[in-house]
Amino acid sequence: MDSVHYIQELFTARLPFFPSNIRASLFIMLFCIIAFTELYLYIITRRLKQTWERAREAKYKEKITNMLAHIVLYDEDDVTDAVNHFVPRFKKLPLRDKAVRELLVKELLDYHANFTGKTAEILKGLYLGLKLDRAARRKIKSRYWETQVEGIREVTQMWIREDADLILKLTDDENSQLRMEAQTAFVKLSSDDPFRFLDRARERILEWHQLVLFEVITKTRNVQIPSFSKWLSSRNDSVVMLCLKLVKHYQQLDAIPDLIRLLMHPNLKIRSKTINILGILEAEMAEEDLFNMYFDQPVEIKTEIIKAMGRISSGNYLEFLKSRTQTDDFKIRMDAFRSIKLHGAEGRELLNNIYQVTTSQNKAIINHVLDERIKG
Amino acid sequence: MNSFFYFIEQFFNNAIFYYALFVMLSYVLLAFLSAVEMKSYLRKNSYVDYRQILVSPNAPSVSILAPAYNEEATIVDNVRSLLSLHYSNFEVIIINDGSKDKSLETLIQYYDLEIVDFALNEQIKTKPLKGVYKSKNPAYSKLTVVDKVNGGKSDALNLGINVSSKELILCIDVDCIVEQDAILRMVKPFMDESKRVIATGGVVRIANSCEVRDGRLIKVHLPDKIIPRFQVLEYIRAFLMGRMAWSRLNGLLLISGAMGLFDKEIVIKCGGYNHNTVGEDMELVVRMRRYMHEHDLPYRVVYIPDPLCWTESPSDLNILGRQRNRWTRGTIETLWSHKELFFNPRYGLLGLLSYPYWFFFEWLAPILEFLGLFIFITLALMGNINWEFSLILMSMVYLFAITLSTVAVLYEELSYQQYTSGRDLIKLLLIALIEPLLYHPLNVYWAIRGNIDIITGKKSWGTMTRTGFGAPKVKAA
Amino acid sequence: MVEDEELMLKSLEFRLKKDGYQVFAAKDGVNALELIKEHQFDLIITDIMLPFVGGLEIVSKVKTDPATKNTPVIVLSAVGLENVVLEAFQLGADDFITKPFNLSELSIRVKKHVKQPTF
Repeated sequence: MDSVHYIQELFTARLPFFPSNIRASLFIMLFCIIAFTELYLYIITRRLKQTWERAREAKYKEKITNMLAHIVLYDEDDVTDAVNHFVPRFKKLPLRDKAVRELLVKELLDYHANFTGKTAEILKGLYLGLKLDRAARRKIKSRYWETQVEGIREVTQMWIREDADLILKLTDDENSQLRMEAQTAFVKLSSDDPFRFLDRARERILEWHQLVLFEVITKTRNVQIPSFSKWLSSRNDSVVMLCLKLVKHYQQLDAIPDLIRLLMHPNLKIRSKTINILGILEAEMAEEDLFNMYFDQPVEIKTEIIKAMGRISSGNYLEFLKSRTQTDDFKIRMDAFRSIKLHGAEGRELLNNIYQVTTSQNKAIINHVLDERIKG
Repeated sequence: MNSFFYFIEQFFNNAIFYYALFVMLSYVLLAFLSAVEMKSYLRKNSYVDYRQILVSPNAPSVSILAPAYNEEATIVDNVRSLLSLHYSNFEVIIINDGSKDKSLETLIQYYDLEIVDFALNEQIKTKPLKGVYKSKNPAYSKLTVVDKVNGGKSDALNLGINVSSKELILCIDVDCIVEQDAILRMVKPFMDESKRVIATGGVVRIANSCEVRDGRLIKVHLPDKIIPRFQVLEYIRAFLMGRMAWSRLNGLLLISGAMGLFDKEIVIKCGGYNHNTVGEDMELVVRMRRYMHEHDLPYRVVYIPDPLCWTESPSDLNILGRQRNRWTRGTIETLWSHKELFFNPRYGLLGLLSYPYWFFFEWLAPILEFLGLFIFITLALMGNINWEFSLILMSMVYLFAITLSTVAVLYEELSYQQYTSGRDLIKLLLIALIEPLLYHPLNVYWAIRGNIDIITGKKSWGTMTRTGFGAPKVKAA
Repeated sequence: MVEDEELMLKSLEFRLKKDGYQVFAAKDGVNALELIKEHQFDLIITDIMLPFVGGLEIVSKVKTDPATKNTPVIVLSAVGLENVVLEAFQLGADDFITKPFNLSELSIRVKKHVKQPTF
């Protein structure tokens, strides 16, 4: 009792007589005690609630996975029959409960991602039959970008093409995450002009977004692939980068003249990527340009040029490559030896000849290059 | 005479109060910034499908560099778990730093290794290379084992950098338990920041008492012993509250040696790890940042709060003391060798905020605390103490400390919630109550010892050869 | 049958049982290797991305052990991991199926590899 009284006195009667720092300390103490108690209560009640919710969810999850796993047994039947068989069963779940509905949607989507053919059709039928697409559309119209992303993901996974127009509006959104999500979704869902966003993309497409777009463009079946060279003159460097990657992926030989023009590009990354692609496309007609520009370039471009000459391996520049094996830069020498090696029998012979006369470090590099166990 | 002591005491109380107030305000600010950064990180990445990085031919290539010194008992399992990480374009380079046991032989035998003709591009000077090994079995084509003359951890990593053929290097401790999607998560910032990212750091968590099978974490538990348990709380606070805030400010100075992903080009340009310090992990980051400032290149150093790397922490006071002693020395050495940064506006935030923070909080704080205690005892012995005021000041600091720790626990609850059992949560909350009383004074003591060791030159400046890098190495401060 | 997604594991198990096979399911590589040691299988289907021991390591273990090297192995993988699939073939995998896949196709491929179904 005494201590309570003492503390009470501290904060009341005696308070005005303390020096200011002690008074402030007392207030900070009071604040900490309140904050601390609230934190404790909050953390613990949150945990209890969570435990209860998780248990409930686990119960439904097991039920849902069990029901879904049986769908694979129906893939020889008619799709409509199968859907009609399953819809009433799933309707027995308390789908008005948001947690249960979200759980079902998640499982359905994950499951759907694994299949093509009838199983996928049955799953889509089930999704539509349970009117889950309406909820997804509501999500796309939400005020929060996170929710919008969720909605877009759902309709894209389920291939609901009717929603492409709804998504098109979002491909210009201010939020870059949402914009990217909408762009990728649009590539998948749009049947007429999936790449129109490239024409007007002014913002930089971050490398990460390029990666995602590239994945979607190259992995989605039935996308109409245009000739990407038409965007190689874009003023947006990131659009050029993305299209370079796509030109490479689809081996678009018609882009070679545009690529040669890009060799003068001020952006080093674009220049180096362009040279790389010219090599991969084995563009013999670019060799002279590559040779002419070589001596003015920084090292990272020089090595790319040497690598490209190896990939093209026309034999026209073997002497040049040989001369590069005497430079000071280790990387240039190694790449030169690699490129010589790529010249088939002729290259092998040249390597043997050089080996007889060269320095001990160059010998080591030649051995390294010829050792098939070392990659990269 | 009495009035003189009264004045001293007044001055002392005020000094403690204002210093405490300053420290507390900084922590509140950091906690707030962390909350902002955590929230934006979690929002941004909850919709990311990391498999897209996994399958993409456009993802950056990564070399994992893991130095090994006398690890024969666990090396085979450790390498296996590194090889099974989820990533497509990567290689694992194990650097045998002149182990005296059969680490190399064990690897050669299990992974069917043979020596290859490797031409080394010595971009960073290191102790001599003895041989590069590759496996005859194509299942292990991603593995490269490098044998070298012993030269310490930094030297081993530098040789690994010379051998690496990829764009990014992930430097890790070989005995860490690394989550499968660690590379995927750590690589992402290199692609989604508008400035050039030169390094990303991963959170380090404590694996004591966790269920581990075949080098993989199965279930997370709070450590049974009290010393690692203190460290769990300390790490949560340091990583989720401290470093996230610094990441937000782009002012991170330290990436744990246990887990950091670096831009190889920049590392090579700055000359790699420094082997004249025991704090090579921090020193490298400071030097890389300095390099970027000196060349006027915009850059970022990013922190990933996801729990990706788990390590066994010391459960023995002596070992822990040695670890903390070393951290202190590492901090001092780094601060000393980059003293030009101190409040130097040329280095922007690095010079004006990060460096001074480390100077005042990480280096000076324990010394001030120790001095404070010393003066307090002296005054008390002379009978010139207002016990009530002193107690009030101390209670304030104590209450603030436990509140701050509880906020850290809340952050963990709201984000990753690794300690799923309710009992573990309660234990964690309780440990916060006694941590300032039991664990904190020990830390101050070790830090002081570190300072003394530096001054007496007992074990500093010289190369770290032969000490190897046995047990503790993660820095959480 | 080795697969870490529970729903997939369960449904493929159902499906293969319906086709008349006896199925052993494993959720991770370690478990799978234990099963492979204990039983003589007519076919192994494995995902590539698995916890603990990856699918490639299973293929390599199965194909280097004289006791199991004649057991056919089908590798399941997500789209885009073509280089991994190539590696799997080098290690001796007999067939591969990319997700998403058609169930009927899977069951035909399984039939092709298992000459005599064990009842």
